[in-house]
Amino acid sequence: MGEVVGLLARWLHLSSSIVLVGGAAVLLLAGPSDRPTAQRWEAWILTACRVLVLLALAAGLLAVVHQTAVLEGSVAAALRPAAVARMLLQTQGGIVWLLRGGLLVLLAAFLTVRAEVRGRTDWRALRGQVVLLGAVALGLVAAAGHAAAVEPGAAAALAADVVHLVAGGVWVGGLPALALLLWLAGRRPGADARPYAVLAARRFSRMALALVGALLTSGLWSTWIQVASVAGLLGTRHGRLLLVKLVAFAGMLVLAALGRRMIPALAGDAAAVGRPAMRRLSHFVAAEAALALLVLAVVAAMTVTPPARHESPTWPLSYRLTLDNIVGAPDFQAQVLVGSQVAVLGLVALLASLVLRRLRLPVLAGGAVVLVIGLAVALPPLASDAYPTTYYRPGVPYQAASIADGMALFGEHCAVCHGSKAAGDGPAAGTLAKRPADLRAHHVALHTAGDIFWWITNGLPPMPAFGDRLDADARWHLINYLRALSAADAARLLGPSIEPETPWLAAPDFSFAVGPDYARSLKDYRGRKIVLLVLYTLPASYPRLVELSEAHGALSTLEVEIVAVPTSADPQAIRRLAGGPLILYPVATEGAREIVDTYRLFSPAPHAEFLIDRQGYLRAVVAAPGDARRDPNLLLAEVQRLNDEKVVPPPVEEHVH
Amino acid sequence: MRLWRVVLLVDLALALGVGAGYVWWGQQVRRLDGELRAARVAAATTAGGEREFHGVGVVRAGLTELGVVVITHGEIPGYMPPMTMGFRATSPKILDSVKPGDAVRFTLRGTPPNLAITAIDKTAP
Repeated sequence: MGEVVGLLARWLHLSSSIVLVGGAAVLLLAGPSDRPTAQRWEAWILTACRVLVLLALAAGLLAVVHQTAVLEGSVAAALRPAAVARMLLQTQGGIVWLLRGGLLVLLAAFLTVRAEVRGRTDWRALRGQVVLLGAVALGLVAAAGHAAAVEPGAAAALAADVVHLVAGGVWVGGLPALALLLWLAGRRPGADARPYAVLAARRFSRMALALVGALLTSGLWSTWIQVASVAGLLGTRHGRLLLVKLVAFAGMLVLAALGRRMIPALAGDAAAVGRPAMRRLSHFVAAEAALALLVLAVVAAMTVTPPARHESPTWPLSYRLTLDNIVGAPDFQAQVLVGSQVAVLGLVALLASLVLRRLRLPVLAGGAVVLVIGLAVALPPLASDAYPTTYYRPGVPYQAASIADGMALFGEHCAVCHGSKAAGDGPAAGTLAKRPADLRAHHVALHTAGDIFWWITNGLPPMPAFGDRLDADARWHLINYLRALSAADAARLLGPSIEPETPWLAAPDFSFAVGPDYARSLKDYRGRKIVLLVLYTLPASYPRLVELSEAHGALSTLEVEIVAVPTSADPQAIRRLAGGPLILYPVATEGAREIVDTYRLFSPAPHAEFLIDRQGYLRAVVAAPGDARRDPNLLLAEVQRLNDEKVVPPPVEEHVH
Repeated sequence: MRLWRVVLLVDLALALGVGAGYVWWGQQVRRLDGELRAARVAAATTAGGEREFHGVGVVRAGLTELGVVVITHGEIPGYMPPMTMGFRATSPKILDSVKPGDAVRFTLRGTPPNLAITAIDKTAP
């Protein structure tokens, strides 16, 4: 119930604001006239503007009250003036509402005050003022919307939204006013205003072309920011609303294009010539306006729906297209290349048919056929099976604790068939009709985390479904473990020295504590420090730990944090290191078990060192089977090379893809 | 006065008003930030000089000849973020009572930044 009220209030507010701005804009565009019908139209528009500004204010107030109820979590709160005042004065959205309310009140004042209008300048100033105030109030809506919450780049997102709102407002809002003028002039007694109406329609049409261009550009930009993926477009409520909006918008464009072609037919000075055409045009414009109201309803729904980039998409199709399929498959690559070139040829033919005067239909049909053939050749190799969960975002981040849990769960539920090392060679593997998958293999990385989630949940015969035995978190732990396995397999390529400027392997995040009340995670060093993770086993590692301690000062200067983790996960680890030279870098006394479980996948040696760069990428691995001692200058040199890197890659994703 | 002049004046006043409001708002935010910082500094340094802080951590080393205990500690509320550092102990007994690896709760007393450990207790074996 409350949701419906909020939606209705927003729709009403947005629609009345837009029709107000658009109506005033068409009036300004058409200019002053001394024809009685035109003056009657102007009077109607002004009356409508007065009603609309009051409606916008009332609906806006209702939306504010609704927002207060949402923020305070109770309907009763919305009726307490103090709560409404708090919402208005202490939230950014509230301040924007206040500012817009003030502008609308000022606008209402301009519309009601009876002033003497002398000459064209006064007329333009007064009507222009309505457009200006209305447009500013409309543009400010963006500052209280999703765009203001984009990080980083809020300014660009805001600008796109403001352009979208104002351009859409003037175009869409102008349609009812134009339809009214055309209808008035299309009636028998309206003949006096017909030239005026034709002029207005022509000017509006010219302006609308520019406005639609601005709408498309800013809309695409916003979509890029707020939806960002095909999965988001097809799989979330926000994305689907956007699709509905686009379909209605395409309908408006078709009507607009048909309407534009009628305008030349209106030419002709004789009062009777253009009449039927004018009436038909007025119907088209009215239909366009009706579609626009639908678009606005969808827009109102979108403002109260979380943007797609915040949602986990539910994929609606049973397949998806991905270029990963053809990596390393030259036959498929050739097929896709040929097919896509043919499709481009068809597309060019289609576009050419729009410009051609002769042979338009054959070229159009031929282009369409070639396009379809091209796609039919190019797309099949790119198609992969997909499931509703394919683009789910994992509920659990890629962290050592989760990986260690996943490892334990794997041993309990999966190892029987897939083998304790996930090589597909478990004790029960031989009894199955189909060999269990080797989960260390490269192809595992080609599937999205959501694909694997679906298979674990629903089974993949002969593998049973685990959806009822393991909760969602447990299934994500397993997936994080599988990702770590695949990453560990890839990590064999990493040696003791870094490959400059080429970070590619995400280090699993981990948390650790040194004594009480000092828990921190790898992520806390993001963007600030390089981390040298040292997995050590006493007594063999001790000389190396002392060596690192001597280099600790130099490493600190180079912004390296050493984190030492005993492979025994001994809570008394610090005590065991006492008595000799001082070792003062962090030694994990808590969280060690999970770190050791995870990082031993990457290197099972008793002493292993992992160099992790500032963005969270694993860059070098030193494994020492015997004596771990190594010239500290080698390490300093590697760190120096990391510090010299100029390219700053984006920080690693916290989730599996 | 002609109407278009009135409109122009109202718009100018509006633009100036909103601009001034925006600038005033920015200044207000900066002033509040400054006050907050000043209050934090004042809270950390006043109260007659002598102050007391409490922290928890793990002992990393005892440097008997210097009279210093090195502790990896969590945040010391009102004084210091988590780090590993040496603290002067007021008496040798304090140094003797703890060993590296001990989880401890400790009390610092003095005029910042001249603080020394006046008491230390093991929190776990």
